[in-house]
Amino acid sequence: MSNRAKSVRLAYTATSILVIGFIVLPLVFIVWMSFFSNKILSFPPEGYTLDWYRRAWEISDFRNGFFLSLRTSLIATCVALGLGLPASFALVRGRFKGRETINTILMSPMIVPGIVGGSALFVFFLEVEFLTGWRIAGSSIGLIIAHSLIALPWMIRLVTTSLISVPPSVEEAARSLGAGPLTVFFRVTLPVIRSGVIAGSLFAFVNSFIDLEKSIFLVGPDSTTLQIALINYLEWNFDSTIGAVATVQIGLITLLLLITDRYAKLSRAF
Amino acid sequence: MLATPAIIFVAIGLLAPLALMLRNSLNHYDPTELMISAVTAENYLKFFSDSFYQGVLWRTVWISGLSTAICLAAGVPVAYFLARHVGDLAKRMLMIVILVPLLIGNAVRTSAWMLILNDKGVLAAFLGLFGHKGPLGLMYSSAGVVIGLISVLLPFMIITLNSVFESIDRNLEDAGESLGASHLTIMRRIVLPLALPGILSGSVLCFILSMNAYATPVLIGGPTFHMMAPTVYQQIAKVMNWPFGAALAFILMAVTLILTVGVSVLVQRRYRKWSE
Repeated sequence: MSNRAKSVRLAYTATSILVIGFIVLPLVFIVWMSFFSNKILSFPPEGYTLDWYRRAWEISDFRNGFFLSLRTSLIATCVALGLGLPASFALVRGRFKGRETINTILMSPMIVPGIVGGSALFVFFLEVEFLTGWRIAGSSIGLIIAHSLIALPWMIRLVTTSLISVPPSVEEAARSLGAGPLTVFFRVTLPVIRSGVIAGSLFAFVNSFIDLEKSIFLVGPDSTTLQIALINYLEWNFDSTIGAVATVQIGLITLLLLITDRYAKLSRAF
Repeated sequence: MLATPAIIFVAIGLLAPLALMLRNSLNHYDPTELMISAVTAENYLKFFSDSFYQGVLWRTVWISGLSTAICLAAGVPVAYFLARHVGDLAKRMLMIVILVPLLIGNAVRTSAWMLILNDKGVLAAFLGLFGHKGPLGLMYSSAGVVIGLISVLLPFMIITLNSVFESIDRNLEDAGESLGASHLTIMRRIVLPLALPGILSGSVLCFILSMNAYATPVLIGGPTFHMMAPTVYQQIAKVMNWPFGAALAFILMAVTLILTVGVSVLVQRRYRKWSE
């Protein structure tokens, strides 16, 4: 390698370390800070403790929020799976007019800004309540609807990319041997696109779990998700319990991403 | 039709609420009776006659433009580095490192930045080692908000640019180099023009996301730092002025659309001139 090429390479490496460090370092610090024993948050640490994790667990908003978020995102992922699998199949295999339009409609929850979609849903739910007396905003069903909307486009995006790579001839062969459409789907197609379905489900789950902008309109006594509990707490307090909750979430999301990486090229989801 | 249930779900959960919101934006607001059915443009007119809300929009636009520009400048070298100088395994690992901060959620990421930017935080402690005294003043400032925003947007920019750089034929760069061009010339005359569509889509994505940012302006900017998305939230969920909140939401989407389409058309026209 020439000297010039070496110095170019060095410049790129140095810039990239700086930029990636800028993105990642805040997370490193918040994980570190969650172990500080300082009563009032300051640097450097006086010692280390696990006490903030116990305290975070004792704050019912965090504990309940965590389980509510887990449950809501799991249900939302299942809804997205039930609606998204057949839809992806139609989008890739179907031959009909207006396929682009349908794709745009199904992707629109991802395109419309979260605050706009969330406020529209909130007002819609309240109008339905005026008309029918059925309370949706502030209940867990409202939250599930909002989170399923978040999950659906991610599912469809990752499942369709993996379906496109499967030649229809595989399914045609099974059909010509006498298999019915459901048998073909469950015995032939699904095993082939398994990795896309897993990656789609994980992305759907993660994006639902971390949602803030849609959920913030739908909070109520039984619908305060972990993200909402976090920003409510942050508005008045800043101490190491935040660090403990953040560390748990960072661990969970990193784990899910590592699993997803085994099944799909991560950058393809964007 | 297999897609029907999904379409119905999106129609009920998003399209119908949006249509209702568009209709609401034409209604009249009364402080005691809240929303009164009407067909009036008063909410839109209120926005354009009130300098406070124009200030909010203007702040949102310049913060987004600045954040996007910084992301582009910082994202190009990283994306190019990942595309040209890194092996497969290292790249996979770095992708995860870049994606974790992106998918960690706005609440956690913003709290991490509060820890850094706080007057008693990491950065202040670090600068203190070099004799810096006094408050940093980064919390509750536009500089703090821009820093928080670019940390969310950079991963998007890097991923978009990286896939574009990877699709560019390496031989073109080698040819330029063998003809004696410096690296900067190769970037300026070969790589960046070829990557222009990707640069454009990455920038548009970053701009849209920061126009709609909520958590960063609220938590880092504080209660007196007004941007559009938090203002929409305030009007609809707190003030309960649905007509004006709806109008704000549509103004936000319209301005974002006009600016991104406008810039895209301008850049593409320049691009066509270049390639001729």
